[in-house]
Amino acid sequence: MAAAGLSRIAAVRLAAAVLLLAAWEAASWSGLFYRGVLPSVVQIGAALGGLLSDPAFWRHLGTTAMEVAGALAIGGSLGIAAGVLVGGGRLARRAYEPALHDLAPTPKIVFLPILIALFGVGPSSKVAMGALSCFFPVALSVASGMALVDPVHLRVARSFGLSRLRTLRSVHLPSLVRPMVTGLRLGLGVAVIGCLLSEIKLSNRGLGFLAIQFYGQFRIPEMYAVLIVVFALAGFGNLLFARIQPRGQAESKGETP
Amino acid sequence: MNPTRRALAGVLALPFLSRASRAEDAVKVAVGQRGAWDTSVCAFGDRVGFFKEAGLALELLFTDGGTETQQAVISGGVDAGVGAGMLAILGAAARNAPLRILSSNFRGASDTFWYAKAGSGITSFKDAGGKTVAFSTNGSSSNLVSSRLLQLAGVTTARGVPTGNPVATLTQVMSGQIDIGYSLPPIGFPDREAGRLVYVGSGRDVPEFRDQTVRCLIATPGFVEQRREAAVRFLQAYDCTIDWMYRDDRALDWFAEGANATRAQAVRARAEFYPKEAMRLGPPANLDLSVQQALDLKRIPRPLTPDQQARLLQVPWTPPA
Amino acid sequence: MKGPALLAATVLALGLAWQGATAMGWLDPFTVPPPDEILASLPQLVTDEDLARRFATTFLEAFAAALLAVAVGVPLGLLLHRSRLAGAAFEPWVAGIAAAPLVLLYPLFLVLVGRNLGTIVLMGAVAGLPAMVLKTKEGFDGTRPVLLHVAKSYGFGGRQVFWKVLLPSAVPTLANGVRLALVFALINIVGVEFLVNFGGLGQLIADLSDRYELAAMYGAVLFVILVSTCFFVLTERVERWLRPA
Repeated sequence: MAAAGLSRIAAVRLAAAVLLLAAWEAASWSGLFYRGVLPSVVQIGAALGGLLSDPAFWRHLGTTAMEVAGALAIGGSLGIAAGVLVGGGRLARRAYEPALHDLAPTPKIVFLPILIALFGVGPSSKVAMGALSCFFPVALSVASGMALVDPVHLRVARSFGLSRLRTLRSVHLPSLVRPMVTGLRLGLGVAVIGCLLSEIKLSNRGLGFLAIQFYGQFRIPEMYAVLIVVFALAGFGNLLFARIQPRGQAESKGETP
Repeated sequence: MNPTRRALAGVLALPFLSRASRAEDAVKVAVGQRGAWDTSVCAFGDRVGFFKEAGLALELLFTDGGTETQQAVISGGVDAGVGAGMLAILGAAARNAPLRILSSNFRGASDTFWYAKAGSGITSFKDAGGKTVAFSTNGSSSNLVSSRLLQLAGVTTARGVPTGNPVATLTQVMSGQIDIGYSLPPIGFPDREAGRLVYVGSGRDVPEFRDQTVRCLIATPGFVEQRREAAVRFLQAYDCTIDWMYRDDRALDWFAEGANATRAQAVRARAEFYPKEAMRLGPPANLDLSVQQALDLKRIPRPLTPDQQARLLQVPWTPPA
Repeated sequence: MKGPALLAATVLALGLAWQGATAMGWLDPFTVPPPDEILASLPQLVTDEDLARRFATTFLEAFAAALLAVAVGVPLGLLLHRSRLAGAAFEPWVAGIAAAPLVLLYPLFLVLVGRNLGTIVLMGAVAGLPAMVLKTKEGFDGTRPVLLHVAKSYGFGGRQVFWKVLLPSAVPTLANGVRLALVFALINIVGVEFLVNFGGLGQLIADLSDRYELAAMYGAVLFVILVSTCFFVLTERVERWLRPA
């Protein structure tokens, strides 16, 4: 049953992918758009091939991957901690949760000069920018997750006389795993954006740096190839998170992989 | 003194520098607009070896433009910056920001040209009435030049639009969203050669800007004051590289490679858009005009005080005439 | 002590610490303008920089983008919940799109839609869409089975189950989705305005940054925070209205 499910999923994905590629190719050939901006799938494929066989590219990939991993680790942990603290008490929630929401949409890139002054011009400032970016979705998701903890469970815990910390561990934490993972998945997205944008602003390595070099040289197929790699990187990260996401009740019936 | 002699003289002077300075000095340089001819000096010089000969280990970092370069220097993350806009420098200096001018980087606006889509009916700035005209950002050299070009053509109904970098601008012009675009070589050359766009005007058409320094080499106060000796060597190696770039055709190949252009396009760029004279190092030229422009555009509330000016202009070395 | 009072006290304390750090020379005022400079720049922002119009522009762009994200995202999320095949096949893709630096595709969007507010709204909507889809699916997936069983035992048909059980149970998570969609939309909208030099507050921030007026730039950032405050208050009101008493 599981194997049949897997191949059906693969078939659906393949069909969707083929449809999307066909639409892109049609748009590219239609002549409706300036030749440079929508290169044919073949050109992009060739550029991607060239990229993957260039050792310099893999060094750039490594740099960005490390930056994003660092950003997630730091921003994620700080976000979880903040989410637990803010979501944990009614007063704290009323005071600070709105503040978190309001701070989240500021364009973090304006803080890059401060981060450069603090962390230098190398990958550390990119990690800092990524961490600053992903802190917010994680903190928000966890904070709201804290609020949605089943009050029945909390009352049971209180009637057992569990300490605050114990309650946190045994009641809050298990039901927090889902929002934590969702928060981290969303945080991954903004961490990637944060790291890439700061590489664009000031750097000499990384995928963002590479993409902007190609853009400046008007090598658009290569730029798309780099973006495809970035998408793939993010997709891979998501796959990892999906593996550790606890199943919903419907899924646990075993009908999905 | 001919260029080769000058280069040799510079290199021969090295053994006579103090022993302390002979150890490799690390210099971090922020470079905006990578791939442009005038910002490639550090990269080329490093590749040829002029900076190593001067005992300098260069680390180059690339930024999105002049403002980021300036910010990187001000925040102390790098020692020096290439291609910082004059008006932005004055704005920062007026607020006593920690930055110094090492030298003029580029004089005049011969590197910038304007174009329109072929068949649009626009062939010169006189046709710009009621149209949109691009420049990079507010207060930039392209902003000032395009305004002046419109004035000279007697057009008052055109609308200036900041469109960002040349690639984004080209895309917008070719898609019909902007009428007259601006560019720096070699962006737009292939389209011009294929007849898809026509040349409409250039910075060279504005004589009063010709001798004005529009971009500078900048540095942190620490680099200029405490590491003055290294700053001097940096400028000397930079100067050697400029000589080399106009003498050795390898520079053309490297430029073509880095800018994704053909050899012929590189030759054209060097010959028509980047006169060697414009790249000459030295104190910023026609500073008064820049200060006036900064006042007019409200980049500075009042002219720089003599103190501020003295602090800003501690140019450590000028090539002999 | 009430919530907002605690927040105000915290902000005041942090502000004083920041001002103190600058006065002591620990913070460089050219990179981190002190609070008094930032506050002093605010009046000039309102009068000289056409702040009200820019504020309204960004606010409306984000509002439109969020509406679009909800209109397209909720049905999509529902589809992914209903069809186990589609859900399993495409949820990772949607999550992947959320992680993609869509902001870098702005030249493509500029060409497709033009150099106008439509591009900005579209990019904001695309940015907010994945979060809305994911949260919608999560909200419906997380319906407690006991509720479904009770509904079935009462003989509720599909439509009734949806409107009386699934949707109300999913409202908190859906509201979360709307808030996240707004956040992502606003971040991307201000980001694109910044990059393309067009629009409301993002363009202002880019302009001030170019002119090296850092204090005023951070002042403009305060107004971006104000936009999101307005949205938060709005969504809270709407959520309270949607949730059965």
